[in-house]
Amino acid sequence: MAVALTMAAMKMAVLRNSMNSQKAGLVVAGAVLGLILAGGTIAVAFVGDPNVGSVTGWHTGDLLAAAYAVWMLGWIFGPVFIGGGDETLRPEYFTLVGLRPRRLAFGLLTASFIGVAPAVSLVALAALVVFGVRLGSAASVLIALPAMLLSLVVFVLLSRVATAVMGLALRSRVGAIAAGLSNGVILAALGQGWVFFVAFQQVGGIPLTASAILRYLPSGWGLIAVEAAAEGAWPRAVAALAAMCLLIVLLLGAWAALLTRRTSAARPSVRGRRPMTATSAQGAVVAKEMRTWTRDLVRNHQLTFALAYAVFFTSCMLFMGMNGLLPYTGAVFILMAGAMSANLYGTDGTVLWLTLMTPGASEVRGRQWAWLLTVGPVGLALTVAGAAITGGPWPLPLALTAALLGGAAGIVPLISVYALVPGIDPHRRGGNPLRSSEDDGSLTGLAYAVIGLGGLTGVPAGLVASSYGWPGVAVGIVTGALCVWGFGALAESRLQSHGPELLQTMRTGKRAQSASARWKKFDDLPKRDQIIATVGWSLGAIPLFPQGIVAGVMKANGTEEKSWFLALHVPDPWGWPVVVFMVLLGIAMYGGALWVSYRPRPREEALPAAAA
Amino acid sequence: MSAALEISGLAKAFGEKIAVDHVDLTVPQGSFYGLVGQNGAGKTTTLAMAVGLLRPDSGGARIFGADVWAEPERAKTLVGVLPDGLAMPERLTGREVLTYLGLLRGMARDVVVERAGELLAVLELDTAENTLVIEYSTGMRKKIGLATALLHGPRLLVLDEPFEAVDPVSATTIKSILRGFVDGGGSVVLSSHVMALVEQLCDHVAVIDQGRVAAAGSLDEVRGAGSLEDAFVELVGASGAGAKGLSWLSR
Repeated sequence: MAVALTMAAMKMAVLRNSMNSQKAGLVVAGAVLGLILAGGTIAVAFVGDPNVGSVTGWHTGDLLAAAYAVWMLGWIFGPVFIGGGDETLRPEYFTLVGLRPRRLAFGLLTASFIGVAPAVSLVALAALVVFGVRLGSAASVLIALPAMLLSLVVFVLLSRVATAVMGLALRSRVGAIAAGLSNGVILAALGQGWVFFVAFQQVGGIPLTASAILRYLPSGWGLIAVEAAAEGAWPRAVAALAAMCLLIVLLLGAWAALLTRRTSAARPSVRGRRPMTATSAQGAVVAKEMRTWTRDLVRNHQLTFALAYAVFFTSCMLFMGMNGLLPYTGAVFILMAGAMSANLYGTDGTVLWLTLMTPGASEVRGRQWAWLLTVGPVGLALTVAGAAITGGPWPLPLALTAALLGGAAGIVPLISVYALVPGIDPHRRGGNPLRSSEDDGSLTGLAYAVIGLGGLTGVPAGLVASSYGWPGVAVGIVTGALCVWGFGALAESRLQSHGPELLQTMRTGKRAQSASARWKKFDDLPKRDQIIATVGWSLGAIPLFPQGIVAGVMKANGTEEKSWFLALHVPDPWGWPVVVFMVLLGIAMYGGALWVSYRPRPREEALPAAAA
Repeated sequence: MSAALEISGLAKAFGEKIAVDHVDLTVPQGSFYGLVGQNGAGKTTTLAMAVGLLRPDSGGARIFGADVWAEPERAKTLVGVLPDGLAMPERLTGREVLTYLGLLRGMARDVVVERAGELLAVLELDTAENTLVIEYSTGMRKKIGLATALLHGPRLLVLDEPFEAVDPVSATTIKSILRGFVDGGGSVVLSSHVMALVEQLCDHVAVIDQGRVAAAGSLDEVRGAGSLEDAFVELVGASGAGAKGLSWLSR
């Protein structure tokens, strides 16, 4: 226990020391978003028929089981998307202390509970208690409490084990590709989860098999215990709790075993075989980048992930008997691949010094070509295949493919030099290959920024193609080429003018910050905060007023006109949760914008010691 | 004749901490110049600013008369740099790194291929032909770094801690390459905190302490009658804290 408490204290200290206004902003934004989701989960406990057994329409238990399955999948696959999960305390730190694997794992597990995500999840799990109350059974409420805690431990442990397994998988190419495939499919399923709900809506509730499967997942065991207690089926309730305990013991053992492998194993080994045949400076950059794409297993994983995500994202509409999205698989793949490579320069780390020492050589262009050569053929093939399967339409998907390819090839280098997230140099990364930066919040933001901005570059071609057909393809090619050329030139000039500053940022892991009064000047904000502030201030009104308050008023008045108010379009149990969600979302957006722009009290940042 | 490297009034502060405080140094052509100082004295920061990898708050640097910030293309073709601890194109093999860099510098392909082969052979990196740089040992990283610094035939080498973590055999190889370079008219600036090494290799030396130049000149001027180590300890005013023993280690 002493080890566990020490590790927990250590993590608190690390978090405290690394906190600055930027990071605090992100933590708060994350907490607000998490609490909204947790609030939504609790709201679910108030929806539908709580009674155990067969009911008509929505069953509260089924809905909760589905919600917790989503939470669990989020815990398991979230780290894949946000740079390897929580690595505040790395197992490598303790290799020389000589702890037995079990004790190490237990200590790290204890430290894992310090943080926002576990707290938010605990709030979400409180819906079990609400459910118990609605079942009108004191026994259910009583059993909900241990069920909550055990479920949280299961979530955290599943997350840790999954990340560790990924770490091992990324040591071989086969593993990297397999992991990319499964992660892509599951995250796409999470993103497209509404499809299942719409499908279930058509059959009037979650089918019995689905509801059974949801409960058999470890995320549903707490629910089983609560429902069993309400029925007075004590053996079943106790068995569910005991199963969770057993799972925890097994997972802890598995994690301990995986930790030993992580700290003992060597780096992934890929050999270089092809001789480099380039003859020009640009050809050399392309050759270097192409080799990095094929030899870096993390990049292998990212590309496979984007591919699996795109294919599943568009094809899961087939469950509803719709194949209309298939021609857009290529477009989704291109955007996702762009998002994955958003931190192009940050991932390579301080190797930028070589670029600075060879002025005059155009590095950005070579990277753009390499990116296009890697992503382009696959994207185009997906589009053509999708359109061929569905028998068209052809112009719109092709126009989008061309426009987005060029758009992403322009946006990616541009955003990676303007909003550089300092990474960990490749040769210094620890045992978690997904971890390319300490700042995973910014990495996630950058990925979304590429999806958003990259998506915008497809708008002109999309509009023309949907109105006039084939001319849209020409527009897509033209805007794509312009994006590659223009954004590339901007990135190049930024690299020329700010190269040493970018290198310094990567070296120290911190951005140069300007200290000023309480309100930060917009120009002084880091790009990411500028994006948060811009989006928050400009778009926060939409969810808050029309989609939230106005829609709520209209719903209360029973207005027939649905217009563009989402809350009035969704089927009945969902109307009010949507209103509440929209209001909270609006508040969160304003809150985020406020948070990044306002400095509560000017505080000295910890300054990077001069590297000397 | 312009100096190989002329640093004038270089200054850099990171927030409140002044890392480099108006450093002036002149490295004459054909000299083997050692920069010594304690950890954190400002050696790395000074060298990074001198070659254009870090923008100074004030002051400037000229390489054979070419201003590093105003004429970077001219200045940077004359210098080869080995920074300490920075990344390389990690997923390339040693030969590929050199080919890539040579082409990036606009060198003809056949010249690049020939020099890369020669450098790999001399630095004994050709045995690890298929190994990616990310799998190199620290010593091998230093050697491939040195190879990239030498590839384009610079007239000045700026090397930050070139011997750190390098095994004795490789160190001897590197030393003889550097000596040969200076004998052929080249100039070398290296930083180190190993006094014996600097004494053995360099003809000029500068002592940096707390971001300032504590002493600079020819080796004999700086060390006087004693050893460089004695002169250094006297200059930086170390208190000899090592005399305090660690009580629990002696029985």
